[in-house]
Amino acid sequence: MAHETAKDLKLPVLVVSLVDVGRLLREIEALDDTLLQLHVRQGGKAVAMPKTSLLMDQLIELNSLNLLQAADRQRLQRFLTLVKQKAPVLHISFAADPSVVFTQKLMTWLRREVHPQLLLTIGLQPSIAAGCMIRTTNKYFDFTLRQKFGAKRDLLMEKIGVSEAAA
Amino acid sequence: MTIWWLVLILAMIGSGGIAFIWLAVRVGRATGGPVVSTTGRPNSIEAAAREDVDHLFNDEFREELRNRGRLHFEKIIGESAMFLQQDLRLTTSQLNEYMKDEITKKLQEEFSKYEQSINDAKQLAIDSIQKTNLAIDEQRSTLSAQVQKEILTEKQQLLQRFENNMADIINHYVLAAIGDQIDLSDQLEYILGELEANKQAIVEDILSGA
Repeated sequence: MAHETAKDLKLPVLVVSLVDVGRLLREIEALDDTLLQLHVRQGGKAVAMPKTSLLMDQLIELNSLNLLQAADRQRLQRFLTLVKQKAPVLHISFAADPSVVFTQKLMTWLRREVHPQLLLTIGLQPSIAAGCMIRTTNKYFDFTLRQKFGAKRDLLMEKIGVSEAAA
Repeated sequence: MTIWWLVLILAMIGSGGIAFIWLAVRVGRATGGPVVSTTGRPNSIEAAAREDVDHLFNDEFREELRNRGRLHFEKIIGESAMFLQQDLRLTTSQLNEYMKDEITKKLQEEFSKYEQSINDAKQLAIDSIQKTNLAIDEQRSTLSAQVQKEILTEKQQLLQRFENNMADIINHYVLAAIGDQIDLSDQLEYILGELEANKQAIVEDILSGA
């Protein structure tokens, strides 16, 4: 059941981390509570409608949901709960804080090529200089400039030898 | 040689003096009392001879002889003193010359010994200095070789360390030099390329679960 829900719904690229998923989950719970209160309210009393966030708007729009319907709300809530519990999380470290556009492009590729519900935990490591380091559940991928230098060490030594010979 | 001459002259003077004293004693004994014969009677011949002698060698003559002897003795004494003085001067000069020669000879010998000792000490010092220099040269060459070896080893260690940590060093250099100019957005294609190259491994690891 949960797997089917996960297949039906999609996560927008702005939803990056477990924090975003948790925030959406809290938001949908709050919305559900508000609508429940509206349903049981007494007439003649003014009720403030809850406002949805940008992430929630994108999530609703992407999945064509109507949150006034309790079934859609429950479906979205189950989906988010499932994502929070089961979605694969990729830890990625950069030298600087990535921009939103950069993160969106990266998430687009990852969701398309790796897993549709993939989440990221973005870290900062200034010593990377360039590139990134990725850690999955069991593996570690070093795409940094340092690793490139290490891999091309022979070429660098050859160039240094040529420079010393020329000097 | 001169000492022997001096001794000979002194012996001659002494013998002359003894002869003079002996002669004076004999003359004094001859002018003594009358000769009495063993029989107790005066000998007339002897008396006559004594009278002749007294007549010939009267007091004036004796005084004359005594004066002459005294003069002769003084003359001999003066000559002897003069000879003695000359001999003494000669001896003194020869002695001075001898002493000078001996002292000079001794001094030359001592000086030559001293010079020889100085030369020996000098040679010994030169040998010691040469040995010390050789030892210093050997130690210096040994130390130089050791230092060269240490430097080479240190250099090789530094080079090895540099080679081992070259990636980190260059990465640190790049980061320090142009770290603030590296834009993450420019690296997107490179990162996506690396992800594409390792996509299979990432997907497999994610799908394999925990």
